[in-house]
Amino acid sequence: MTTNLHSPKRVTALPPTWCPGCGNFGILGSIKAALDQLTVTPDQAVFVYDVGCSGNMADFVYAYGFHSLHGRALSSAAGIKLANHHLPVISVIGDGGCFGEGVDHFIGLSRGNHDITVLTHDNYLYSLTTGQKSPLTPKGTVTPSTPDGTIDEAFNPLGVAILNQATFVARGFAGDIPHLTKLLIAAISHSGFSLLDILQPCPTYKKDRSYAWYRDHIYYLDQEAGYQTNDRKLALQKTLETDRLPVGIFFEETKPAYHQQVISLKDTPLVSQTIDSINIGPALKEFI
Amino acid sequence: MPALNWKIAGAAGEGIKVSGLILSKALFRQGVNIHGYTEYPSLIRGGHNTFQVAASIEKAHAPKVALDVMVALNANAVLNHQEEFTDQTAIVADLNLIKNDLTGFKRQNQIIDIPLAKIARDSGGGLLVKNTVALGASGYLLNLPLESLNQILTETFARKGEEVVKLNHQAASLGYDYVKTNFPDKKLNFAYPGKPPADKIFLTGNEAIALGAVAGGLKFYTAYPMTPTTAILHYLAAHADQFGLVVRHGENEIGVVNSAIGAAFAGVRSMVATSGGGFSLMTEGLGLSGVTETPLVVVLGMRPGPASGMPTWSSQGDLLFAINASQDEFPRLVFTPGDPAEAFEAARLAQNLSEKYQTPALVLTDKYLSESYFTVDRFADQHLNQRHSLADSKALPNDQPFPRYQLTDNGISPRPLPGTPGGVHLTNSYEHDELGYATEESKVRTAQVDKRNRKFASMSQEESLPQPVLFGPQNAATTIVSWGSNKGVIRQALNLLPDVNFIHLPLVWPFPEKTLAKLLASAKKLVTLECNSTGQLNRLIREQTGITIDRKLLKYDGRPFYPEEIVEKL
Ligand SMILES: Cc1ncc(C[n+]2csc(CCOP(=O)(O)OP(=O)(O)O)c2C)c(N)n1
Repeated sequence: MTTNLHSPKRVTALPPTWCPGCGNFGILGSIKAALDQLTVTPDQAVFVYDVGCSGNMADFVYAYGFHSLHGRALSSAAGIKLANHHLPVISVIGDGGCFGEGVDHFIGLSRGNHDITVLTHDNYLYSLTTGQKSPLTPKGTVTPSTPDGTIDEAFNPLGVAILNQATFVARGFAGDIPHLTKLLIAAISHSGFSLLDILQPCPTYKKDRSYAWYRDHIYYLDQEAGYQTNDRKLALQKTLETDRLPVGIFFEETKPAYHQQVISLKDTPLVSQTIDSINIGPALKEFI
Repeated sequence: MPALNWKIAGAAGEGIKVSGLILSKALFRQGVNIHGYTEYPSLIRGGHNTFQVAASIEKAHAPKVALDVMVALNANAVLNHQEEFTDQTAIVADLNLIKNDLTGFKRQNQIIDIPLAKIARDSGGGLLVKNTVALGASGYLLNLPLESLNQILTETFARKGEEVVKLNHQAASLGYDYVKTNFPDKKLNFAYPGKPPADKIFLTGNEAIALGAVAGGLKFYTAYPMTPTTAILHYLAAHADQFGLVVRHGENEIGVVNSAIGAAFAGVRSMVATSGGGFSLMTEGLGLSGVTETPLVVVLGMRPGPASGMPTWSSQGDLLFAINASQDEFPRLVFTPGDPAEAFEAARLAQNLSEKYQTPALVLTDKYLSESYFTVDRFADQHLNQRHSLADSKALPNDQPFPRYQLTDNGISPRPLPGTPGGVHLTNSYEHDELGYATEESKVRTAQVDKRNRKFASMSQEESLPQPVLFGPQNAATTIVSWGSNKGVIRQALNLLPDVNFIHLPLVWPFPEKTLAKLLASAKKLVTLECNSTGQLNRLIREQTGITIDRKLLKYDGRPFYPEEIVEKL
């Protein structure tokens, strides 16, 4: 990849408020690099942020942004895409927002193959609300809301995405910016629902999963001999691995996105269709 | 005033509504105003369904109780409706089927006994055309030309093929002839103008809302089915290609409202519709629209609650909920249309004003208005729309965040649409500064709340807001104050009440304090009328004007008021 010499402004004047060592710094770095390499200008991208430490990125990215409600970023993102399908729509959301509060939207929009890029900042916790369990927290983990250890089994986001017909499913690591950047570019370029689940160290509340821990536990799927990204069953199998965590593209396929199957969007984005003069005359015949 | 009052009743699944609609259309084409009202339980099969058609030469605002003709498809259709029968009511029934259940029924001599099942079978159409036989019989009784009934049967069944049309024509004429032969003197003496009322249409409140929204520039509609607004989803989905809309049945009401707000943020006019339960799920989204200053139109169709309530019945229990839903404060509009004409206008205006003031607009309806059929003046064909409160794309700064929430005198801050060069900004659900960035600063917070509130002051001055209207004589001993779908019923009742007039509120928020205060000042005895149990408009009037109205007429059994009931209670 070549670096873009005319890289536009990517960040605002506000200094990030994340804790030192937070995985969100690495993710923000990758986002900047990916946009540069895709040559997407700030006015041609829309970011939708959920509510969480991850969503606080809203104040730091210089691009069109919508800071939505907790758990609802994907719904707002889907609406934006249907209104203007020429714009790439990227949502930044925590594992709590995406797989807890908003899991119904995640599943529904995945099945519809809505053309949105979903970046889940996966720190295995609710960080902004001071470290309670998230749907991804491994069973038995002690957190402020589960002092005797969580009783629930952990959610499998990549598996659920694959089973619900997501057309791009990948996992990245906030500590490997070049690799994450490549995944981001692939996810944003993909037409259809893309989930990029990002392993994100939280040095404040999840001390047992440091950068070093992740480096010891991840391995790269693209270095795995014979791994094919078009094999749904194989991909599903990979999502079940918890001792070692595969990163890279698990699964991808080409299918028409939701907006490509909506008749009124065939020619022009909805937002460009004029409403200056509307004739309801022909429709009134039905009522005589 | 020459009028007809016909009803059909039977079990759910017997095609009650289709039959009612066919007769309504046939009558309408003969030049009468139609009001169609349907009652049904939340069941697909069984249960008791009715469809009532009130027809009159002059405007029909609401059905009355006393029936001219009742088509009773089962015994309950006779026994449950005895209060609606007078000595003149003709009761069409197949005694072969229900004789044994009617022992003790006093009006045996009023039964137009017709072997509906046998005639249907003999006609070749089988039991499916039993209702059509009954329609033919009704046609004779109502003095309706058989051809006009046949014309609507053709239009209704053309999709199912010529054979089906023919069988229905056959069934209708057999029913018609049977009554003509056996009950020749039961024909009502009613003269029809013979051609459809000029410039009138015949439709439901839901259809009017859908059309009004389209006229107002709607492009994105999303909903999760819930009675009584489901038909808006069906209508717009069926016409999405014709109107160039995106219509999406969303994953749930929370997804629905948040995607509608997303679409509006991206620049298209959007709308959602639901009932109280779905609206409860949408309330956080309502606040999102308020604080992000993103347009949103919500149609709230009321039914009795709380929780699942009585799904297919009517209520006005959500007035104060609509005005107050969501945490904290922000400006909003709440329309309370009284009939399809006002509903059309409310939906059209809601689209425009929500965009202009960048805040939610609610259209309150109820099962009675949403699902009943009304004859109204034909809506204009052509509707012009202007875009409102968008940033002038030429004047935008480059490489700087656009001041999306600039403090302005009228509170409206122009917004650039995503994709516009130079308009880059953050739209924020958190409290924010003028640039959209999150803030917890005391001064900034206060300034932004004040800015949003200034929009409320500006919209209160808006000339297009519908104002309270007075019906009936200027001076009357008693003045009824009401809102929403009671309008037609009360106007109908006024015909029977010479010394009563009526103030209707087509919009309750911003509260029309000035106009209402003026109207109230010249009233003598005041009474409020509403379909809820505590008198929510009554409470609102006291809160907003300091005027206490002691008398309340309330009904909350899921049925709308009948005009006769108002006369009696007053
Ligand atoms: C409706 C609602 N419920 C709860 C909250 C409080 N809340 C804010 S962020 C959050 C969870 C954050 O966890 P996650 O989504 O994983 O994001 P992270 O902070 O870890 O990035 C919660 C519960 C809220 N803002 N809104």
